[in-house]
Amino acid sequence: MNQRAILLEARAISKRFGGVVALKNIDLTQHRGETLGMIGPNGSGKTTFVNVISGHTRPNSGSVAFDGTALAGSSPFQIAKAGLTRTYQAVRVFGELTVRENVATALVDARDPAPPETVAEIADWLRIAHRFDSRAGGLTLMEQRQLELLMRLVQRPKLMMLDEPVGGLSSAEVRTMIALLSELKARCTIFVIEHTMKVIRELADKVVVLMAGEKLAEGPPADILADQRVIDRYLGSVDA
Amino acid sequence: MKQDTTPAKPSGGAIPLAIFAVAAFALPVVLSGNRYFAFIAGVTLIHVLWACGMNLLYGYGGLMPLMFAGLAGISAYTVVDLTAAGWSFWLALPVGALFASVAGTVLGLPSLRLKGFYFTLCSLVIQTVITLAFVYFAGLTNGDTGISQIPLPSAGGGQPLSALSYDLVLSAAAVLGVVVLVLIVRSALGRRLIAIREDDELAGMLGINVTGTKLIAFFIGSLFAGIGGALYAPYIGFISPRSFDVLISMNIWLMVAFGGRGTIWGPVIGALLLAPLSFLLQEYYTVKDVLYGLLIIAVIVLMPAGIAGGFGRTPRLPAPDLGVSPQRGSSK
Amino acid sequence: MSTANLIILLSTISTGLILGSIFALVAVGVTIVYGSIWMPNAANGQLFVLAALFGWTMTVGWGIHPAVAALLVIGLSVPLSYALEFLLIRRFYDVPNRNVSYFVLSLGITQILAGIFSFTYGRWSDQFQLPPLVGGITFIGPLPIANNRLMVLALALAILAALFALLRFHRYGRAIRAVFQNRDAAALRGVNVRASYSLSFALGNAVIFAGGILFAFAYSFDLTVAWTMSITAFAIMIIGGPGSVLGALIIGMVFGFTQAAVSTVASPTIAAFSYLGAMLLILLFKPSGLFAR
Repeated sequence: MNQRAILLEARAISKRFGGVVALKNIDLTQHRGETLGMIGPNGSGKTTFVNVISGHTRPNSGSVAFDGTALAGSSPFQIAKAGLTRTYQAVRVFGELTVRENVATALVDARDPAPPETVAEIADWLRIAHRFDSRAGGLTLMEQRQLELLMRLVQRPKLMMLDEPVGGLSSAEVRTMIALLSELKARCTIFVIEHTMKVIRELADKVVVLMAGEKLAEGPPADILADQRVIDRYLGSVDA
Repeated sequence: MKQDTTPAKPSGGAIPLAIFAVAAFALPVVLSGNRYFAFIAGVTLIHVLWACGMNLLYGYGGLMPLMFAGLAGISAYTVVDLTAAGWSFWLALPVGALFASVAGTVLGLPSLRLKGFYFTLCSLVIQTVITLAFVYFAGLTNGDTGISQIPLPSAGGGQPLSALSYDLVLSAAAVLGVVVLVLIVRSALGRRLIAIREDDELAGMLGINVTGTKLIAFFIGSLFAGIGGALYAPYIGFISPRSFDVLISMNIWLMVAFGGRGTIWGPVIGALLLAPLSFLLQEYYTVKDVLYGLLIIAVIVLMPAGIAGGFGRTPRLPAPDLGVSPQRGSSK
Repeated sequence: MSTANLIILLSTISTGLILGSIFALVAVGVTIVYGSIWMPNAANGQLFVLAALFGWTMTVGWGIHPAVAALLVIGLSVPLSYALEFLLIRRFYDVPNRNVSYFVLSLGITQILAGIFSFTYGRWSDQFQLPPLVGGITFIGPLPIANNRLMVLALALAILAALFALLRFHRYGRAIRAVFQNRDAAALRGVNVRASYSLSFALGNAVIFAGGILFAFAYSFDLTVAWTMSITAFAIMIIGGPGSVLGALIIGMVFGFTQAAVSTVASPTIAAFSYLGAMLLILLFKPSGLFAR
């Protein structure tokens, strides 16, 4: 596996909703095995960016290439089958189905479905195996986020985009999640979107800072934390 | 939130199916002495077939196709016209049903992108157009007067089938309908449909081709409508645009909603209860209208999951092993 | 232009105006209810006929003066609306996707009312005719028009104008519109959302009743107009844009004129096909309607 092969390449992505500019000319490159982090305040366009990449929103201009193939005009399910998957800011699972059925659903059209032994193994290290026959809607928030990860992992995707994976979790749960994501990095390339540096600082190899739809800065976490522009406009005002 | 940790029993097991098959075939034989009751049983069996088709689309797919009766009508009129032109009924049946399926898929295709109410409304409009077309193209359908004296088909040139023989054909159709539904529901298609019904955006995100799946479900559901329609015409002996209008679609929907959508047997029970009722109240259609209207309201307000749905719990498909052993007891 | 053609033209225009204003009334009523509580009311045609039938009972059956009957009928719609709202409608206010539930619910109500009407009024008469509001005839050019119909037109337009003014300028109207646009924001601004829901429901139905009773004065009718009106009202609402009062008004008038013009040259079935076709096109290509907010 070529560690430095380009997995995701976004060029000049722009998106407008009516009169509001959500994204302006965003360029972004992610290599296989490289953990990418994207931060920015609420409303800076992070989720819009994820929506564009995952196919839920069509950009006004720009192009996206995933693992060498252009994604122009593909629908979300085609992109998912190509190996690009994402989670949602507000956790999203099939609440009325059991965990087992949720996972079965994730397997049915997976790009590269994991065999039962692998499913069991992933469920174990995500510590969700004991809840397999519970109704997903009855799980705690942390368990639902674990289920979300499980559902993506059993598809053995090439890239996982995680939209605010620690939203709503207690500090102890956040630490657990960061530990899980650190182990996750070894199994799959991840792209983490958050609005604080807390999570990203420990996980990311490269950080992209988004501000009002534009890329403000890009670089390793240490550089970003030291970047004066970022400190002035963003980190100074947020509990990072 | 209270936890639902009991693994529920899967729907559509082999034993109920065997019981149903035996009952379905025995019923016409047992009732063959009394034509009136046998007839009610026959009409009910056709409705069981229809309810299965509607169940696939509404119960498992979450789509409310109010044009269902219209499609049955397209098949019925096609088969009647073909047999009047000399075709064998048994050849006309698949042709008519297929024609209805294709029509249903084509008509349903553009509306598959629509959500919830808009889809239902679109379907209602299409049903209205179909009914109007039945009245307007009187050359093919004899308009509002309807077509009467439709004979029972023969087994292959010669005498028409006896009433009992045709009843058994209906039994076979009903049983086959349930079997096919069970097979579909337990297949990947079933799992996709349920996912789409629960959260279609999430389903797409997981790689499921939502539009394609709906299309296939539409095609199969329309097939159920068409086969039922083709069998219905010679059995009743008379068809008119009223036989296949929106109220009929609503009644079939009611059988599914009342019996329990998303279960195999719920809609069958719904059909078994409501079809004879509809037939018996034929004379008193005003009472029937009021009663059915009340049932519709009752179902929406009181029983979102129908009788078999256990007042709110989503019924289960057999859950795959996935290498993870079943959960023991409840944990919190 | 010959006198005969002029008469046909004027007649078509006058019919178009009257029908258009009636259609507009019903469609506005339906769109108000849809836009405020998200309820597509398939029973609007039955309510329309209910108003007409009540009017018939009061004028023909009990000998009440037509103008008084009209007011009574419209007034009756208010307790009816509140009863319906209390029993059935308010259970769903917090349910997501309630528009589908409401739609099916309204189909149930339609079936019940249709059954009741068949059983009662359907037995008593095939065709219903009310005494006129006012007597006499006016000449517009060579065309004689019953003053009764002119009165209906005037009243319908007046009600539409008053509605428009209410929604745009009066405090209650503004509250309804605020809730239309953003329920949570309106609640934060102190609007009593539930009360505004009840009010909108009552207002919408009252307007439908007004349409029904006015229609009954202008034309004789039978029970089948219920179903035709339901479909027409939905078509108008969808094409005009669900929730848009202006859209309902304009498209309603367009439908009125189209119906008047088409029925002189083609069969009603063709007319039905064409506006069902128009509705389908809008649903498929521009579901937010032509006058979407």
